Formats: sequence, structure tokens, C-alpha cells
Amino acid sequence: MIMLRKKGWAVFTVLVLMFCLFASHASANTHWQYWSDGIGYIDAVNGPGGNYSVYWSNVGNFVIGKGWAVGSPNRVVNYNAGAWNPQGNAYLTLYGWTRNQLIEYYVVDSWGTYRPTGEYRGSVYSDGGMYDIYRTMRYNAPSIDGTQTFPQYWSVRQTKRPTGSNVSITFSNHVNAWRNAGMHLGTSWSYQVLATEGYQSSGYSNVTVW
Amino acid sequence: MDKLIPLMSVKQGLPVPPPAALRIARTSLKEKGILTMRKLTAIILLTSIIVVNGACSLNTAPPKEKENHMVFVKGGTFINRTSNFYTQNITIPDFYISAYEITQKEWVEVMGYNPSAFQGDDLPVEMVSWYDAIEYCNRRSLLEGLEPYYTINKEQQDPENKSEYDPIKWTVTINEGANGYRLPTEAEWEYAASGGQLSSGNIYSGSNQADEVAWHFRNAGDEYLAGDWSWPMIENNNNRPHPVGQKKPNELGLYDMSGNVREWCWDWYESENEPKGLYRVVKGGGWIGDVVNTEISFRGKFEASGYGPDQGFRVVRDA
Repeated sequence: MIMLRKKGWAVFTVLVLMFCLFASHASANTHWQYWSDGIGYIDAVNGPGGNYSVYWSNVGNFVIGKGWAVGSPNRVVNYNAGAWNPQGNAYLTLYGWTRNQLIEYYVVDSWGTYRPTGEYRGSVYSDGGMYDIYRTMRYNAPSIDGTQTFPQYWSVRQTKRPTGSNVSITFSNHVNAWRNAGMHLGTSWSYQVLATEGYQSSGYSNVTVW
Repeated sequence: MDKLIPLMSVKQGLPVPPPAALRIARTSLKEKGILTMRKLTAIILLTSIIVVNGACSLNTAPPKEKENHMVFVKGGTFINRTSNFYTQNITIPDFYISAYEITQKEWVEVMGYNPSAFQGDDLPVEMVSWYDAIEYCNRRSLLEGLEPYYTINKEQQDPENKSEYDPIKWTVTINEGANGYRLPTEAEWEYAASGGQLSSGNIYSGSNQADEVAWHFRNAGDEYLAGDWSWPMIENNNNRPHPVGQKKPNELGLYDMSGNVREWCWDWYESENEPKGLYRVVKGGGWIGDVVNTEISFRGKFEASGYGPDQGFRVVRDA
């Protein structure tokens, strides 16, 4: 019993130390994570300027990105995904939120094994490729305003966008296409980032945003 | 490894008396009957440390069981300039409001079950819809011999309710003048959160620093989170609701008006962009949402049938 207790303390101590070593890093307009649950782990680096990189292994779910504290419907988001090597389910996406209405939105340029989908609402040509428009609903789900029922708007490129060169996402093209499909964004803009999102997967990405 | 145990106790603010030293001191008192000055000084010193330490922990550690008393709120006009109601010429009548969010213990005593995702007597009840909160008010009123404030018609759908996501739509009407428990109006909530006539004009209820008074997405988990709101980050950080009354109270002695769980108000949400009939107002923000939600002036909203691990309430009564 005592041995078990001692072993328990040892494991606890190691976990505490790991948390200290992998404490989250602060950076304005970004979200950074360093953590390990003992099986999977994530190692995200807040690089200079608009650069970030993330290495993840057997991770349940994460979002790492870089962008703007206040989103805009007219922003042209430039980025270069110098490395994009997902193994499993992951998105390379413009991601953000609006309030009034509360909307979570995605413009997905590339993905791993799963191309996201939803209720089809049309398509739009932008920045050299066709994107399908989808709407999905989240019921009693976590959001920037706590648990809410809210829609997600998606533009998903029909084919994965080639990475390794400077590209743009002209967000207004998507905003207009969404509006024409009856999908109105809110009037209050929360953050807007170019993000790597992973779900039960591994991989590496290195992205510079400007 | 044993050394970790007292270290942890210190971290938790608990007194750590050196039991062995104390035992020796007591033995020498009993057996020898005579104390040298040196021993006396040592014992007095030791006792002082223990007493002071104990007193300190009494101040910091929350009582085992809090009585969620009703606090009298003297009515008047809004003093807090940050309130949405400051520029509106309205006067709030006197009323009583519960000092804490309704706890799970209080909920179970009245309703007989516990819907909460994170269970504990001192934790706020959560996973409760607006309808659940209304029912609690009436049942508690009856248990305490008060006249229920609401009439609930479960058979007739509320024609005012236009939400496509609310499958319940009970018709709830007010029994004016009844002395039972009820939900605060949005104005009453903001007035009380502002500190009423004692308001210091804070942005959050009781402070201009959210961390002093509120549990929100950054501080409600294992580590203090930086950066933008991210649900995976919040989940990985073991964010959770906290026992009521652990943060600083506001000017009226009300706890957790900002943060912990969001609190249902009676009113329909209505704004320039959104018509009445879709949402009920929720105030104060909670452990999942962004910090801005915990500002007194932030107007939250949710379908009346909505529920979540950050959705609770507190009650009021007419004075």
C-alpha cells in the first residue's frame, strides 16, 4: 500500500514537472500549446513575425494558429505553408468567430485524410480554386460565449491546395458567397487566424501568415 | 517522497503542525509537571504558529457548507456607468438575491436529482435549462410555504417563442405580487452585479480585474491560459466550474456574479439585430467563455431549452 502510494506520488510529481516544462506560452492574437497527456503530445512554436510551427503526435484535438485579434470580412490573408505533413485528420484553414450572430467559420485549403463536409449550400471560385460551401450546426456546444447552439460556415477547397509557396485567401469572396447562400456572418468580429487543426492524428506544419 | 506531503499541504493553505514536536511538548508537561523557561518559550512559540496558521487558513479556506442566504439589495437608479442601463432612466425596486449561484446541494434538496456534469455539493448546479430554473423557483417556493411566482403551462406552446432550436416552448407567466422565488430580470441582475447603490463602477462584478472575481476560460483550469479562446486548449487544461464563493465578493457581498457559470435571467433577449422570442438573457459569463463574457455589461443569450456545463442561475425574491 505504502509502495503504491509512493509510486503514485512519483507519477504525480513527474506529471507536475511535465506541466511546468510544457507550460503554455503567451502571445497576443495567437494560441499556443505545449502539453503531453503521457501518450500524445504537441509542441507548438510561436515563431518570429507571422510564423508558427507545430509538431503533434497522437493528439486528440488541437487548434494552433496565428492571425488577428479582430477579424475582418474584407481581409486578404496571405500565407506560406512551408511544411504541411498531416498523418490522419487535420485541416489547414482560415478560422474565426463572429458574434451577433455567433458563427464559427472555416476556409479550408488543405486537409489530411478527411475532407470536412456538411449541408451543401453551393460553391465559389476564389484564389485559383473552387470551394464547396457547407453549413453545419452545433447544439449546446462550447463556443467563445460559452455553451451555445450555433452554425458553422465552411468553404472547403475541392482539391487540396498545393503548399510551399505564397498564396492568398480573399476572404470577402467567401463572405459574399456565404451571404448569397443565406449564411450571414455576425456584426461583431472576434479573432481570425490561419490555423492548423488536428483531430486524433499526428503531423508537422510550419506556416507563415501575413 | 514523503516530503511532498507537507509541501502539498502548504500549497493548499492548510496548517501543518509538527505533530511529533507537539507530542513531546505535551508529554513533558504531563510527566514532569515542571516547565523550564526554555521549554515554555518553545511551546508558546509553537502554539502561536499553529494558532496563527489556523486562523489564516480559516480566512482563506472556504467554509465546508455555505448558507446561500438572500442578500437585500436596496433599490435605486444605476450608478455604474459601465452598465447598459446607466443611461436609461429606470429605478430598480428593493429586492433580495442569493449570495451565491444555486449549488448542487440546493438543487438536489428541491428537485431530487442532479443534472450537473461536474458533481459536488458546493459546486454550482449546471446543465440546467431556463425551464429547469423556472421549475426550481416554483418548487422551492412551495417547499418554503411561499406563493409560486410563475404559472407554468406545459401543454400550451408559447406563441412568443420563435426559436427553431427550442423544442419545449412552455408558456410561463408571472403571478404579480407573489412572494416566491424567481429569476432576476436583466436589469436587476446588472444592478446587483454593479453593487447597487454601493457601486464602485467596476467593469466586472466587484473589480476591474477579471481574475480577482471571476472564473473564466483563462483561469478555470490547471494552468493560466494565454492566447485566443480555443476549446481543445480549454479541454486539455481541465477547465471546470469551481465551488461557489471562492473569489472576492462584490460591493453587496454577492459572489461569482462574474464568471463560474452563466446565470439565467427572466427576460427575452432583444437587440437591433435579433428580435424578441429567440433567446433568454444569460449574464455573467462562465468557465468556458471568453473573458469579455464576464463583464457586467456583456449581454449573453441562449435558447430557453439550452443547457451546458457552464449554465446555471441564482434566484431573487421581491422585498
